[in-house]
Amino acid sequence: MTPSTATLPTRGIADRLTGLFWRRPGIFLLLLLLPPLLWLGVIYLGSLLALLLQSFYSIDEFSGMVRQELTLKTYGELLRPQNLDILIRTVVMAAAVTLACAAIAFPIAYYAARFAKGHWKAVFYLGVMLPLWSSYLVKVYAWKLILAKEGILSWAANATGTSFIIDGLLALPVIGSSSLSTSPLGTFMVFVYVWLPYMILPMQAALERVPTSMLEASADLGATRGQTFRTVILPLALPGVIAGSIFTFSLTLGDYIIPQIVGNSANFIGMAVYQLQGTAGNIPLAAAFAVVPILIMLVYLWLAKRAGAFDAL
Amino acid sequence: MTIAVEFSDTSRHFGSVKAVDGVDLQIEEGSFFAMLGPSGSGKTTCLRLISGFEQPTGGQIRIFGEDVSNTPPHLRNVNTVFQDYALFPHMSVRDNVAYGLMVKGMGKRERLSQAEEMLDLVKLGQFGDRKPSQLSGGQRQRVALARALVNKPRVLLLDEPLGALDLKLREAMQDELKALQHRLGLTFVFVTHDQHEALSMADSLAVFSDGKIAQIGTPAEVYDRPRTRFVADFVGSSNVLPPQLTQKLGGPAQWSSIRPEQIRLADAGPLFGPVTALRYLGAGTRVVIDAEGTQVAAFVPAGQPVPAEGSIAYLNFDAAALNVMEEK
Amino acid sequence: MHSDRPTLLLRIGAVLGLLFLHLPILLIFLYAFTTEEKTYQFPPPGLTTKWFSVAWFERPDIWPPLYLSLKVAAISTAMAMVLGTLCAAAMSRTKFFGRDQITLLVLLPIALPGVITGMSLRSAFGIMGIPFSVWTIILGHATFCIVIVYNNAVARMRRLSGGIMEASADLGANAFQTFRYVLLPNLGSALLAGGMLAFALSFDEVIVTTFTAGQQSTLPIWMLNELVRPRQRPVTNVVAIVVFMATFLPILIAYYLTRGGSETAGMGK
Repeated sequence: MTPSTATLPTRGIADRLTGLFWRRPGIFLLLLLLPPLLWLGVIYLGSLLALLLQSFYSIDEFSGMVRQELTLKTYGELLRPQNLDILIRTVVMAAAVTLACAAIAFPIAYYAARFAKGHWKAVFYLGVMLPLWSSYLVKVYAWKLILAKEGILSWAANATGTSFIIDGLLALPVIGSSSLSTSPLGTFMVFVYVWLPYMILPMQAALERVPTSMLEASADLGATRGQTFRTVILPLALPGVIAGSIFTFSLTLGDYIIPQIVGNSANFIGMAVYQLQGTAGNIPLAAAFAVVPILIMLVYLWLAKRAGAFDAL
Repeated sequence: MTIAVEFSDTSRHFGSVKAVDGVDLQIEEGSFFAMLGPSGSGKTTCLRLISGFEQPTGGQIRIFGEDVSNTPPHLRNVNTVFQDYALFPHMSVRDNVAYGLMVKGMGKRERLSQAEEMLDLVKLGQFGDRKPSQLSGGQRQRVALARALVNKPRVLLLDEPLGALDLKLREAMQDELKALQHRLGLTFVFVTHDQHEALSMADSLAVFSDGKIAQIGTPAEVYDRPRTRFVADFVGSSNVLPPQLTQKLGGPAQWSSIRPEQIRLADAGPLFGPVTALRYLGAGTRVVIDAEGTQVAAFVPAGQPVPAEGSIAYLNFDAAALNVMEEK
Repeated sequence: MHSDRPTLLLRIGAVLGLLFLHLPILLIFLYAFTTEEKTYQFPPPGLTTKWFSVAWFERPDIWPPLYLSLKVAAISTAMAMVLGTLCAAAMSRTKFFGRDQITLLVLLPIALPGVITGMSLRSAFGIMGIPFSVWTIILGHATFCIVIVYNNAVARMRRLSGGIMEASADLGANAFQTFRYVLLPNLGSALLAGGMLAFALSFDEVIVTTFTAGQQSTLPIWMLNELVRPRQRPVTNVVAIVVFMATFLPILIAYYLTRGGSETAGMGK
């Protein structure tokens, strides 16, 4: 037998580097993490800091130039009645959209989690995932077609003699307008449609974790279906609802395309940011507006974390 | 005799957890060495110290006299059969076996023919084209073995290799592994938590407890003469007697052990008490009595009278059979 | 067992919900064939296929945005695949200090509304005096695409038996050989799926892009302009179909690449 050695010879730079990584795993980790961390840390966090910084600048009323001195003046402007209106309108809309999404999502999520088997499971999964990922703008556009005065919804209402329902809704103060496509009600419907999949998926994930045996145990102990639903299913689904609501709430807070395309000209936070940084050229105020959703979401996330919603993500 | 693997005062601490703590160990070339212990006792960490997946925080490890402190796993001439086999799922069985030869730069024809040879050795000659997922647990185990052996390692490490197999297959593989080791004359280091496996297969074994070696020796030495209470408890089914009972039986005031086969029923004797349990074992009956609060088992060969449960029985034994243990 | 059967109400609710998600998209297809170009009249007064040829031959304003979108999506995806994979490789290894913070940092660009990411980048460009270019768009897109690739790669790594990397080293492979022969083949389909999703996301993105594009026009921005100031409405529908297919197909491919595991793509947009 040839006396082979206990170790093999080093064959080149690759072996030497492997040895170095092995002796100093920290170096290897650092090399792996450095590019993504530089990217996200410098570009993304740096930009967020820039946003924060801009929000503490102000605009010079005479020259229209940005004054690069730290001040709370711009945040003070947020409290003007018309700006406060925008903030309140946006938060109310986000809350309404979230509630509606939760209500519509539940039967889909519950069915998919409990009853869909095999082939149907895949259908449900794809049926939710495809709208989630497919073009946002195309979806919004589709609703412009649906809600147009001469569009399919009016046609269907006419054909079935239910136009009075739409007319009645449009006659309501605050949410009504001359047509669905220019009413806050229309804006609300599009928001619900576009963000609905974001509510279904976490809800389904939470419901799938409810063991069937637990429902059987509840029935076994004499609970009616209604009681089982209220006392077992709902509490267990709640983390999923909260997780989903983080998406629907946050996305509605920041969106500015939907209210621009469907709705009256009432402003939302996102629209205000876009207009202020663009045509108005008031970047500090735009930045201050953009900080508001961050603060709201931080509070929301903190509350959600306390409710244990992150286990369902 | 050449020493294949040597630990000198080797430690591996993870923060305050001392996974391996000051281990001294010598494994002879060509031996079948078992590392035995409960989970968390440090045996697997010791194996990983040899393969290089853990690095010692203190002391040294030598393989055939060479200090391997600076040698990464891929340059150590040792190979491992992993607990879950860790076969490459995207490669055929043949490519799995040839992998070690490929990364060392061997030509395709040569390495594939060596892989075939090795597959023949583990009786999987016709399975080369399959994917690992198409094999049974026992077959995967053989592939893992072939994949390691084809590299002609100086030491073969086996991490609970039989743990995932059912009882019948496990017993068959035990014999096969032993035969293979004998044929190749290779040093096998074998980690297991199963004392029967260790006792039946190993030439010598180390019993681990809390990161330290509790006892090292041949299976007979460890089985007959456990040095500590832990070893007596963990290996085999010895009776463990507290100091006052040992003293009463003529020993020093220390813990001691005695195997049930070495105890016989008698008309009178130093150990007595009511019979608390009887267990029929085919070749005999295991009789347990309660001697002053200590449960003592005796093995009564078939054909001899067995006392009734609840009756008082007397036990006797040769003084030499009493194994006085060190501390605790 | 009575509790294992869905009630009629639940069944209807679930099916209506799914239809609600899908029917609107079909309208986009229908309106691409209408003869009416000034309004969204339903039902369409007549059907024609002429808008496809109009879009192809008579609207040169479509092509530059299409090229720009393809370019941005391709480069952003490539960058996100490198960065996301590196990050996933690092995170799949041992626990280390700051791990949770890094996870949060990776997730943040899609967790916060796009308007914030967009406005942040806009602020930074403003402060540093960076002029808008293809690269300012890519900067934004790559940032939120990293997490898509990362999620897919991490899910696959979690499923891979950790032992195979050690087995490779044990058999004599150095780190680069292990990467090439073991990690890459096993990660490949997950990375491809992540890349597909990232491409779809980037190709379709409009909110961040409006802040980072300046005067440039990607295809979604072109569409947005058409929605606000419509010209030939059915042509917009033709483009919408193109955008829809360009996102739909990669998503479908990603699904088939990763199905059958807990890691199925798309769970974490």
